[in-house]
Amino acid sequence: MMGYQMHLKPTVLIGFMVPTVLLAILPVVGAPRSWLIYVFLFCIYLAMSNMWNLLAGYSGLVSLCQPAFLGIAGYAMVIGTWMGIPWWIGLIAGTALASIFALLLSNAVFRLTGVYFSIGTLVVPEALRMVFYLWRPVGGAMQGGGAGYMVKGIDGLTTHHFYWMALAVGVASMVIMHIILRSDLGLGLAAVRDNEKSAAASGVRVFRLKAYTFMIAAAVTGLAGAAYYLNSGYIEPSATFNVKWTMTMLLATIIGGVRTEEGPLLGSIVAVILYFLLARYSGYSLLVQGIILIVIMLVSPQGIVGLLRKMTWYCNLTGHVA
Amino acid sequence: MGSGELLTPILMGVMLGGLYALSALGLSMVFGVMRLINLAHGDLVVLASYASYAVMTLLGINPILGLLITVPFMFILGILIQKYLMSKAVTIGTEAPLIIAFGLSLVIQNANQIMWSPQSRGINTVYSQASFHLFGRQLPMIYLLDFLGGIVVMLLLHGFLKWTYMGRAISATAQDTRASKLMGINTKRIYYWAFGIAMISAAVAGTFLGMTFPFTPTSGTTFLTIAFGTVIIGGLGSMLGTFLGGIILGLVQTLSAHFFGANTQMLTVYLIILIILAFRPQGLFGR
Repeated sequence: MMGYQMHLKPTVLIGFMVPTVLLAILPVVGAPRSWLIYVFLFCIYLAMSNMWNLLAGYSGLVSLCQPAFLGIAGYAMVIGTWMGIPWWIGLIAGTALASIFALLLSNAVFRLTGVYFSIGTLVVPEALRMVFYLWRPVGGAMQGGGAGYMVKGIDGLTTHHFYWMALAVGVASMVIMHIILRSDLGLGLAAVRDNEKSAAASGVRVFRLKAYTFMIAAAVTGLAGAAYYLNSGYIEPSATFNVKWTMTMLLATIIGGVRTEEGPLLGSIVAVILYFLLARYSGYSLLVQGIILIVIMLVSPQGIVGLLRKMTWYCNLTGHVA
Repeated sequence: MGSGELLTPILMGVMLGGLYALSALGLSMVFGVMRLINLAHGDLVVLASYASYAVMTLLGINPILGLLITVPFMFILGILIQKYLMSKAVTIGTEAPLIIAFGLSLVIQNANQIMWSPQSRGINTVYSQASFHLFGRQLPMIYLLDFLGGIVVMLLLHGFLKWTYMGRAISATAQDTRASKLMGINTKRIYYWAFGIAMISAAVAGTFLGMTFPFTPTSGTTFLTIAFGTVIIGGLGSMLGTFLGGIILGLVQTLSAHFFGANTQMLTVYLIILIILAFRPQGLFGR
């Protein structure tokens, strides 16, 4: 059986490669610092929303526990630096830990279907937030009780390094999605999503497939989260295991177009713009995001891509067949 | 440690269970009739807490008497949500109601935050400091009110579902939507009612929760988890199961506060819910 086949229109390939190279040389050619921050955040959002799209859009797992993965990886990396472990080993270890956590979790939550799954996963970050408030593995007690940590021993790294790291994660998430959707895993997922029982009857190993996707999504989300906290230099439980992260991933995916490959890409651009537009009105930010989410869902459930695909030039460009 | 010391947390847990069952009723109702789990339920309960707080502080009315205002308010809000959001959401796709409810939950949460600031609040009434005696223990009066409030609303709802036309139509729709349509029931209207009634129970639950515990705009997730845990433990669709589920969760909370300290009580509740989800997703009393 063919594992994977390239089906890429040249326009798409060029449209993907050229911006990547341009973004990669941005820091070298002396782009303003604010641009780098925009692109950094865009790449983090892109990786996370791609993974949420993989779960919710393609696997039927509307997961609300993504903050758990990015938090576990972030904490693993930060606590590692406190114990003298180099940051990059912490990054890898954190990614692996997030993935293992997803595997452990899958035993509990995969027995639940649909909305049960979502609420079961919603509880996880809540519980973890309490755990990390109460549990302080290294560094002794701190005033105030909250278990916040500064990242240690990254003096050699500059903003540019964080920027390239995020760019690599973002690009990798696009490539991973591209490969998964054209592999046996992607075909299996499509079968499961359309009809779980008949897929199982035809020999698709439903549990295993879902567990794989859950683990991949956890790993990439964790990696992006660890990169984010490496850049911000500080981690604490209430902002980490926070529903705001879930909201960002959901919003980016849904604005762009859930269950479309290019959706999270377009949606993440909008999410970054929204983030900086709304930063001034921080109290209203989530309120506005919630309203946008509801309106998009009601007006155009397939987001921007759904609207674009009604236009022939877009379909010609991307090779999409309606 | 003698059994005498355990009596206080046990009595408090059982009474708290009445309140938890009450907060779960609305969730169970909406699920039973529409097969939809309202992710915004917890935040709607918190909204009711704030509504009661407003009625008390702005109008100076006792929050229990104030239910005459908060209950119709929540009822109408519930009908509006069903009419303009949920009834449309179900036609879009399977995950649409979930995502819309998630958006709604954040909208309510942040609207509360803007109106009331993130600071923690409590509904302080004459009952807050009062206590009563049972089996030689001194217990907070508010817990007794929680328990009684829970039982009264459950009995009322039970009577409504059993003996009124609308109630029986709701039960019929929950059992078989297609058949009830064929019997001439306007299921669309039933959905409005079901959501409205769920919000009535949320109004009462929010008021009593606000009198028992301090609350913040982000308490909704905790309330949703408790309500969901209650429903999961009791198994969906059974009022008695919901009641027992509430009591079990109440006991878990007060006993873990007794043994491991107040800091860990909610963590224990969350863990118990996850464990039950993992091993008996159909609930302890479900089949």
